[in-house]
Amino acid sequence: MYSLSILRLALIVFFSSLAMANQAKIEISSPLDKAKIDIKKESQLIYNLTLGNGADHAHAYIDSKEIAILRKMKGSYTLAPMLPGAHVICIKMVNKNHTPIGVDRCISVTVE
Amino acid sequence: MDLQNIAYTFAQLFHNFGSVTVVGGSICALASYRTGAVSRGLTWIVLIGWGIQALSGSAFGAISYFHYGKFPDIKGIALVALGVKILCSTIGFTFAASQLFVNFSIKSNRRIGFLQCGIGILALSSAAVLRWFS
Repeated sequence: MYSLSILRLALIVFFSSLAMANQAKIEISSPLDKAKIDIKKESQLIYNLTLGNGADHAHAYIDSKEIAILRKMKGSYTLAPMLPGAHVICIKMVNKNHTPIGVDRCISVTVE
Repeated sequence: MDLQNIAYTFAQLFHNFGSVTVVGGSICALASYRTGAVSRGLTWIVLIGWGIQALSGSAFGAISYFHYGKFPDIKGIALVALGVKILCSTIGFTFAASQLFVNFSIKSNRRIGFLQCGIGILALSSAAVLRWFS
């Protein structure tokens, strides 16, 4: 009886901790989605990451090509000059083994 | 405790011990060639070590695929380092197997022993590059 109570308590603590675990989240505050970027100006990718779901850090991509590994939870990255036209900038959360965990955020920009 | 982390830990454990076996075994085998005798026992250890390296290395990718349906996303220098490690394992395993099953002269065995040491050290060095450039 006593051991059953302990087991029940352990299960409650375990499942509560799972429920309370952070959900991984990515916010890109700059550039904004569908923004127009001046080809002559240097632009910054400003982001905010929230770890969770096994995420360890994030990878940044332009048009599916990896451009940076983001280990700071909040920061900025100077984007290299891009060719004129439409581009997709993505940040993907990855685990310690660099595997994308399925949490990502993508924005579209047009370089003019 | 996260099952995924436990799986990665076991893969890492086997991978680390595989590295020690390959490099340490090759150096000990090389030392034994100086006496003229070819230690089959040590060569078996090196062969098993390379096998463990290949299997545990593949396990890292397999665990990622099992959990997320994707392989690790590594690029550039890290990918080259991974390629070098795979090549080292393949060559190292082949050399160790050939030493066991082909009747080489002591001189040839010594040469292969030197190569084994070099390949082991190269694989271990590539692991450091892979770790910090990915």
